[in-house]
Amino acid sequence: MGTESNLPDWVAEPCIMGIDEAGRGPVLGPMVYGCLYCARSYQETLSTLEFADSKTLKEEKREELFENLKADGSIGWAVDVIDPRELSAKMLKKNKINLNEISHNSAMGLVNQVMNMGVLLSEVYVDTVGDPEKYRIKLSERFPSIKFVVAKKADSVYPVVSGASIVAKVTRDRALRDWVLDETADNMQRNFGSGYPGDPVTKAWMENHKHEVFGFPSVVRFSWGTCKSYSKGMVDVLWEADANEEDESTGGSRKRQIKLTDVGFTTMKKRSEDIESCGKERSKFFQARKLQLVSQF
Amino acid sequence: MEGQVGSGTSVVSRSESPLEDLSGKVHQLPCCVKYNGSTSVSHYFKHKPTRVEVDGLCVEEAYFRGRKLQGTTVSIPTGYSGYVLGKKIADKQNNWLDEESSCWEMNAEFKNMTLWNHDILPSKDDAFLRAFHWFPVADALHCPVSIEDLESASTDGTLV
Repeated sequence: MGTESNLPDWVAEPCIMGIDEAGRGPVLGPMVYGCLYCARSYQETLSTLEFADSKTLKEEKREELFENLKADGSIGWAVDVIDPRELSAKMLKKNKINLNEISHNSAMGLVNQVMNMGVLLSEVYVDTVGDPEKYRIKLSERFPSIKFVVAKKADSVYPVVSGASIVAKVTRDRALRDWVLDETADNMQRNFGSGYPGDPVTKAWMENHKHEVFGFPSVVRFSWGTCKSYSKGMVDVLWEADANEEDESTGGSRKRQIKLTDVGFTTMKKRSEDIESCGKERSKFFQARKLQLVSQF
Repeated sequence: MEGQVGSGTSVVSRSESPLEDLSGKVHQLPCCVKYNGSTSVSHYFKHKPTRVEVDGLCVEEAYFRGRKLQGTTVSIPTGYSGYVLGKKIADKQNNWLDEESSCWEMNAEFKNMTLWNHDILPSKDDAFLRAFHWFPVADALHCPVSIEDLESASTDGTLV
């Protein structure tokens, strides 16, 4: 990101900005939020630049337009690349963060970043898949000085959002193309396909890269429902966070304290129950430290 | 192993071959993996140090099955060791063992282990680390008492 000293003069004029996302649906790779901004006075020129919804453009055209807008001194842009590990981890936390919230935070992060650079944002156009009005209120409360226009399919209606969609889509495609897998097992390929769950290339990659213990390489979004369809042959992994969730869904009246000893050693279940029951006899020192004298194991 | 072995006793014996040192490779995960056996841990479980430090513990991070784990590597206190035990198939000479008894063999040894939490930073208050509190207490309890100790205790007027 540029510093204030090399910012163009037009950022002091009222500016418009578009925000769009790429890679929300795919089961693997990063989700990218992109934004594009320019002076309001440049809006008319912008609409002559052939920006269209990035999905309707061929890859070469998107790449070309991205290079053009990067070279255009009257346009600024920024991206937020959300790592698939971060997406999975947030969605699988004890207190789960849903994808909409992650998306909103990313978009707000971009607004914040551009404002802090010294760009005078007056209007921001945002594409959304969720409820536009609720989202508009949320954004307006956070940034009262900005007029927000939130719309479904904004990427095909507002050129500034179309531009943002190109920024996001090209960044996502490049990130996936250049993705370096964390895992070092033999025969790991990078032919991910588009990452969309229905893509035959993606399906084949998922099938060929599943692992009975580790599930998938960490480029995969484990929190995606599609992952379950590959779970055949994978061993079960039980988490405290999930056990608590099940309790809540059954009404919470039967509040069961899940301890790792419960989910941890099922073959020892009977014995762990014995340990629980005789815990009352133990000194508080041992109870508090989960220590138990075991003579038979 | 000699002498009388009571019913329902567990016996741990040292393996004849030298023990493999698993220091740095033992991880306690905050979940139950319904699997026993070998798997390619080093190719998939890529843990990295972070710059975060809690209670003097260096925090590491890793991902497992899409969950973020935060952990710390702790040394097994001096005088103690960690062992991986495997069930020893009782041969006929071990006929002093009854059905309730079990016989274990040390397969590997470790001087440290990495304790992982899901979602929360490791801390000195984690149950596993709190269990270490027993070691100094055990030492004190089993330490022989000298005449001097008794005298100084009685002159203090305190009951130990």
